[in-house]
Amino acid sequence: MSDSNLTGKMTRREMLKLSAAAGAGAFLAACGTPAAPAKTAEELLKSANTIPMDTLIAEAKKEGSLTTIALPHDWANYGEIIETYKTKYGMKINELNPDAGSSDELEAIRANKGSKGPQAPDVVDIGIGYTDASKKEGLFSAYKVSTWDTITLKDPDGFWFAEYYGVLGFEVSKAQIKNIPQDWADLLKPEYKGQVAMAGDVTKSNEAVMSVWAAGMSRTGKADLAAAQEGLKFWAEVNKAGNFVPVIGSAGTLAKGETPILLHWDYLALADRDTLKGNPEIEIVVPKTGLMAGPYAGAISAYAPHPFAARLWWEHVFSDEGQLMYLKGYAHPIRYNDLAARNKIPADLAAKLPPADAYKKAVFPTLDDLNAAKKYITENWRTVVLGQ
Amino acid sequence: MKKVNIWAWIILAIGMIYFFLPLVATLDFSLRAEKDVYPSLAAYRFVFGDPAFYQNFGSSLLWSLLTIVVSLLLIVPTTYWVHYRLPNWRPAVEFVTLMPFVVPAVVLTFGMIRLYCCDPLPLVSSPILLIAGYTILSFPYMFRAVDAGLRAIDVRTLTEAAQSLGAGWPTILFQVIFPNLRVALLSGVFLTFAIVVGEFTFASLLNWPAFGPYMEFLGAQRAYEPAALALVSFALSWGSIGIIQYVGQGRGGEANLAGAR
Amino acid sequence: MSQTPSLRLGNGDAPGARPPSQKFTWAWVGLVPFFLFAIAFLLLPSASIVVNSFKGPEGGFTFQNIIDVVARKDLRSAYQASLSISAITSIGGGLFGFLLAYAVILGGLPKSLRTFLVTFSGVASNFAGVPLAFAFIATIGNTGLITRAIESLSGVDIHRTGFSIYNIWGLSIVYMYFQFPLMVLIMAPALDGLRREWKEACENLGATDWQYWRYVALPILLPTLLGTTILLFGNAFGAYATAYAFSGSFINLVTIVIGGQIQGDVLFNPGLGNALALGMVIIMGLCMLGYSWMQRRSARWTR
Repeated sequence: MSDSNLTGKMTRREMLKLSAAAGAGAFLAACGTPAAPAKTAEELLKSANTIPMDTLIAEAKKEGSLTTIALPHDWANYGEIIETYKTKYGMKINELNPDAGSSDELEAIRANKGSKGPQAPDVVDIGIGYTDASKKEGLFSAYKVSTWDTITLKDPDGFWFAEYYGVLGFEVSKAQIKNIPQDWADLLKPEYKGQVAMAGDVTKSNEAVMSVWAAGMSRTGKADLAAAQEGLKFWAEVNKAGNFVPVIGSAGTLAKGETPILLHWDYLALADRDTLKGNPEIEIVVPKTGLMAGPYAGAISAYAPHPFAARLWWEHVFSDEGQLMYLKGYAHPIRYNDLAARNKIPADLAAKLPPADAYKKAVFPTLDDLNAAKKYITENWRTVVLGQ
Repeated sequence: MKKVNIWAWIILAIGMIYFFLPLVATLDFSLRAEKDVYPSLAAYRFVFGDPAFYQNFGSSLLWSLLTIVVSLLLIVPTTYWVHYRLPNWRPAVEFVTLMPFVVPAVVLTFGMIRLYCCDPLPLVSSPILLIAGYTILSFPYMFRAVDAGLRAIDVRTLTEAAQSLGAGWPTILFQVIFPNLRVALLSGVFLTFAIVVGEFTFASLLNWPAFGPYMEFLGAQRAYEPAALALVSFALSWGSIGIIQYVGQGRGGEANLAGAR
Repeated sequence: MSQTPSLRLGNGDAPGARPPSQKFTWAWVGLVPFFLFAIAFLLLPSASIVVNSFKGPEGGFTFQNIIDVVARKDLRSAYQASLSISAITSIGGGLFGFLLAYAVILGGLPKSLRTFLVTFSGVASNFAGVPLAFAFIATIGNTGLITRAIESLSGVDIHRTGFSIYNIWGLSIVYMYFQFPLMVLIMAPALDGLRREWKEACENLGATDWQYWRYVALPILLPTLLGTTILLFGNAFGAYATAYAFSGSFINLVTIVIGGQIQGDVLFNPGLGNALALGMVIIMGLCMLGYSWMQRRSARWTR
């Protein structure tokens, strides 16, 4: 530095040279990134960021297989989603227990923490009410799929993400019911004596709890604790009128005639209609008031033996094709609005579902409200409704 | 004897009506699978055409065979020993064999999972836990059957007679005691077989393929086929038990019943 | 079960002739495999019941679960319901099951019927859960075979009268389906053991059928009869799948409540579930004690 100054301050010239040098150095450093070592598999998995598809497919193929749980093929068209994953990416899928409930799936994760064997699930599909507690328990590993931004219900850190939802409606057997009930209040009519049933038990099944809550919501208008209280009162009236059948309803009991009016998720009811092939004829009613939406959320197990395959699975599920496959199974994919906005939904597919207008009033409860309502309903079901 | 005969027939008739009515009702429903066609075998065609049916039934058959072997090997020598040498231990053994009734399967499975999920004994990845669980479930029935059979024969005399003729323990067990327990053993084996094939909780929670979860699963998805499946599994189990009975009788027919007649 | 050899009859034991031998101290080894297995796969996992009974929903230690089990009205009535249905089906099931076994073995019926009933019982004793519940819904449910037959014969619409099978009595009828066969299966070998010579000896001495039963056959059968009744009791007490498939949690049974707490999607207080299970273990333990006392008294007759 020839022009050094007694005060040590740089001259303007020196300043310019220095900054040019620094700038050039920085520029070179930035260009030099492709030459820097690529991220290791560990790092890719630890960060929740989207992994480029090529890398993802390559790593997943190395793992070779994916272990799923609780995915019946007839539920929201999982059959097709599973098959396309296998053929498109040349992967094997080990399907565990299709009958498992949400709590069973989480238990499977816990039970297999130490083992990477075939009993350990990689991915789960659970009711939305389970997501928070499980995240806190550390059962999940975060990942944001490439279509992350268009997912409307998710954990901001990427630990869980809603995949699809349905609404609670009435599955009615036309063979026995001449006047199809159109709304919750109709269920109290004396003509339906011994004919109204739920598809689960209130003390065990989320669907049944939603049936109570939605009934209350039809009276109060909001999905809150007051609706839970009203819901119990409603069902107490149904029981008193003798309309309630305590049998746990299914396609079988419906066909038999024991539970001709069944409260069921719309996608399951529509799938039933397909399975039964008109034997008996079924009508699915989306109630005018008290329309409760029930989303299901997906997650990756923190102890997954095949973490890359798991991430590839979610990329598959949240892709446009994956989401449309849900629609084929009558379940509303979570990215429905995005797909509709971009005109990706085939007209014939849209026609198979109940009219879109009916769904406009669907209410998505918040997790806090859901948990509070669940607690209230299950604790008070016996005393209020059954009078025990 | 004639008086007893009529009552015997009446009681049997009442029993048969009670047992067969529900089966008839199920059959009736299972034949309605096709719209406006009665009777229709569509539900049965579905069941027999479903590869999952064969896989799951086959798996359960395998589990039941393994369970029967383990259970027999554990229960028969133990019960024999209690009868012959250690009658004071009877209450302890009996208590253990009755415990599976009291401990709900759900709780037992969760307990096993937590104990054996991780190091040093990660048994969760192999069917060992499943077979162990099934064996435990079979204890009350197997023990009760063998116990009843042993009571009916004179264990001490038989053993000492065999010993005085120079027989060693294996000979005593397999050539003297077992043949006299044939009826009792058979009934224990039937019960174990039926338990394992119909069992649901263990197989479902431990996530192994088995017939119980398959039936449950089909029940959730379809309407008429589960009824067909229930009857088919009933018939298959009955047939298998009939075969066991036939094979177990040996060529002596009913000659070797428990105790001399 | 006294050890005075001079009073021990039967079993071919010459009174007092057996000298104490070194072997006796090692005889318990014969029971080791059984107990090891039981400890590993039954006792240890069950011990978790006790431990977990004291766990609160958040994981900490608490007595609340035990208190709940005793204090909460709905839980006490769950035990009541479970106990009633177990008592009904074990006594009723035991009685009719015994009659059935007697009918085919000693009732002079053709041998083939005996084989038929025994093999059928093998299957029926485990016909439970969803298929059994559905079979009965299809028979005596609101649209069941029998119900509709009665309606068409008598013109009465059962629906409107408010009659329902979805209660303890209806469920008891369902439970009998596996209780009767179980009794048959266990009593069959025992009835076989009733030697013809004894009956003939009695007749020779001029005894009536009733006296034969009262003084010879029943006392011999009593331990097995009692034991099997307890078995039936335990079987009904622990039944879950059938009750749940039949009417969900409409009938308040302990096993249903436990299922909801441990495995359900909504409630989740495994501590309470375990405390309830602990209650079940204690109750069955008491039954067992009562049974062994009864057995010791009646065992006099077999020695």
